Amino acid sequence: MARMKFLCDSDRCIECNACVTACKNEHEVPWGINRRRVVTINDGRPGERSISMACMHCTDAPCAAVCPVSCFYTTADAIVLHDKDLCIGCGYCFYACPFGAPQYPRVGNFGSRGKMDKCTFCAGGPQQDNTRAEYIQYGSNRIAEGKLPLCAEMCSTKALLAGDGEIIATIYRERVQRRGYGSGAWGWRTAYRETVSI
Amino acid sequence: MSGRTDGTAERRGFLRALGLAAAGATAAGAAAAQTRADSVPAGQARKENEQQRVAARYRETDHVKAYYRTNRYEH
Repeated sequence: MARMKFLCDSDRCIECNACVTACKNEHEVPWGINRRRVVTINDGRPGERSISMACMHCTDAPCAAVCPVSCFYTTADAIVLHDKDLCIGCGYCFYACPFGAPQYPRVGNFGSRGKMDKCTFCAGGPQQDNTRAEYIQYGSNRIAEGKLPLCAEMCSTKALLAGDGEIIATIYRERVQRRGYGSGAWGWRTAYRETVSI
Repeated sequence: MSGRTDGTAERRGFLRALGLAAAGATAAGAAAAQTRADSVPAGQARKENEQQRVAARYRETDHVKAYYRTNRYEH
């Protein structure tokens, strides 16, 4: 069974933010929420690195472990999704997530939060596939259409890889062998520890 | 005197327009709230059952194969 993963090749990322824009446009993500963002370290200095970051769909997702209403579930493809009809917007998942993936729409003038929103790996949610209700709540379901997340498909420098973990790891390995160096698959050790038992 | 009356009428007209604009904005806001990410009327919701929601949906289609192939290009 394929295991879906993201991999950002930070040696290729040029911080163009096309992944961020593609995601917002594809899913009509509300104002104030970014399911994906580009983080740059040492900006403007030698050793500058940019990493495109979103929910990594962890093997043993800490968000799911702390959710008081158990709104998270992991699909057979290892995609971590959540049910917005169960979410109470408590914010525990935000504190638990090592990648800062969960986002909350602002619904009032006094800082009150709405239901959590995060990257779905373009796999929708618990509503019927590719229905209007699913699109409104979770965005488009490209996985059910036989496609991959748009952020990765749009990446002009092919820095952001998404798909079957085995295949994208092979692609990255080939790149590292060819160029003779690699800064590592950022976040993989945190998200996909192989020693973890679930 | 008449200038003063005109001024009052003008001011009240402006305030009326402001009130109408505010009411319009509230109505538009309510309409926008209908399309907010987490607001789906219960009647429209058709939830998947436990088996359906965790079922594997990934398929290695030609589209996906093309993505993997192009990512293998050297440049």
